[in-house]
Amino acid sequence: MIKKILLIEDDKFLRELMSKKLVNMEYDVVSAVDGESGLAMIKEVKPDAILLDLILPGINGFEVLERAKKDPEIASIPVIILSNLGQKEDIERGLGLGAVDFMVKAHFTPQEIVEKLKSILD
Amino acid sequence: MENILNNPDELRKVRAALLNILEDTDDLRRSAVEERNKTMAIIENLTDGVILLNRKKQIEIINSSAVELFSLDKKTAEGMCFLDLVNRDSTHQFKSILIDEDKKRIKSVYREEAMGVNELHFEITSVLLKDNEEERGFLIIFHDVTKEKLIEKMKTEFVSVAAHQLRTPLSAIKWTIRMILDGDAGAINDEQKDLLEKTYLSNERMIVLINDLLNVSRIEEGRLLYNQEDAQLEDIAEEIINSSQEILKIKKMKLDYNQPTKLLPKVKVDREKMGVVIQNLLENAVKYTPEKGDIKITIESDKKNVIFKIKDSGVGIPKNQQDRIFTKFFRAENVTRMETDGTGLGLYTTKNIVQAHKGEIWFESEENKGTTFYFTLPINKQ
Repeated sequence: MIKKILLIEDDKFLRELMSKKLVNMEYDVVSAVDGESGLAMIKEVKPDAILLDLILPGINGFEVLERAKKDPEIASIPVIILSNLGQKEDIERGLGLGAVDFMVKAHFTPQEIVEKLKSILD
Repeated sequence: MENILNNPDELRKVRAALLNILEDTDDLRRSAVEERNKTMAIIENLTDGVILLNRKKQIEIINSSAVELFSLDKKTAEGMCFLDLVNRDSTHQFKSILIDEDKKRIKSVYREEAMGVNELHFEITSVLLKDNEEERGFLIIFHDVTKEKLIEKMKTEFVSVAAHQLRTPLSAIKWTIRMILDGDAGAINDEQKDLLEKTYLSNERMIVLINDLLNVSRIEEGRLLYNQEDAQLEDIAEEIINSSQEILKIKKMKLDYNQPTKLLPKVKVDREKMGVVIQNLLENAVKYTPEKGDIKITIESDKKNVIFKIKDSGVGIPKNQQDRIFTKFFRAENVTRMETDGTGLGLYTTKNIVQAHKGEIWFESEENKGTTFYFTLPINKQ
């Protein structure tokens, strides 16, 4: 069965690139451009996994993660943080809130990100 | 004496002479008072807080900046014992810097930083005043550096934010090129591939540069070490050595690593940062040694320290530039001529990390023969 990935990312070009890669790798992709709509979309589409940016307009990624993990309906959906923050404090905070991994965008290629997704979904 | 008393003329002369002396003394007294007033006016109006203590540690002089700093009034402050003055919650940082609790003594310090009330930052200096080896008291100066601190913080935050912002377009470039190279946008020919590979590497260098800048801003923020834990330095080194096999293979180099024969004492380190140190030293050794060269890593310990040593057969550091090698952005002339890439931040970061662990770092180098870097970490005694 085709897995559904939710991509929450405010940068249009990065969103397009990542979507394209995911589609090429035969995933079903939905995306959101800010925290508010991202959170709504998690509840609505119940994706198999979430790629979450942290610096977002409105409520930020940390908050999205925190709220998602408090909602029993969606708490079990694995979240990978994909951000350009990357200081140890940020990483620990993200993992502490329940993200399965923290990937710094500039340090990974789309291929590596998809492989990480795959290892989590399998 | 009898003669003078019986001689009114003589008596008159003596009287005049005495009056003269008195007048001179009075003049001197007056100018002394004037001098004192002048000095007091200077001390009083200094923007730094100044306190002068007598031998019994009582406050003899306190200027208005210092009075304000301790939120007292002058009358109460004068004569007060200094230990009582700093023995309050709001000044506990001053106390820990200035008072030696064991010996109940005031310490001599030079520009030690402390925070006072209302988030103000001070640099504290205390000087023992001596008069022919005899202690006369203490002079204590509180210099307000709040504004400097604020500017420093803003600068660091700026670098930090700018670095994060720069990463976004760099990620876009990285992802795009990689996806084209991976064939996500259709087939490309060999020449296009070659050009894109090179662009990709350039972009990677920019990402590394930004990471270096972030590390530097952390150093200057004083937030360098995050999580210190007990560890075996050889474990961290072996991890780095294992992940560096690729670059060694490309340059056909031999890395000789002698595993310590016995288990070394543990050291307290931030594992990630210590990894950066070893990685930087190893990368430098590889980068600045010609193909087929040798690198040797040794880790040992003495009574106090664990000692890391990395020796290469590389180009060396020119004698006249050796004293600048740990400075920010500095790159030696011989390596810039080799057209190797580098930011000049590696050794600066390395040194700061080692020092933040209370260790030391140094090197021995001879041009065209090779360089050996050493660093030590104090053994964790617990």
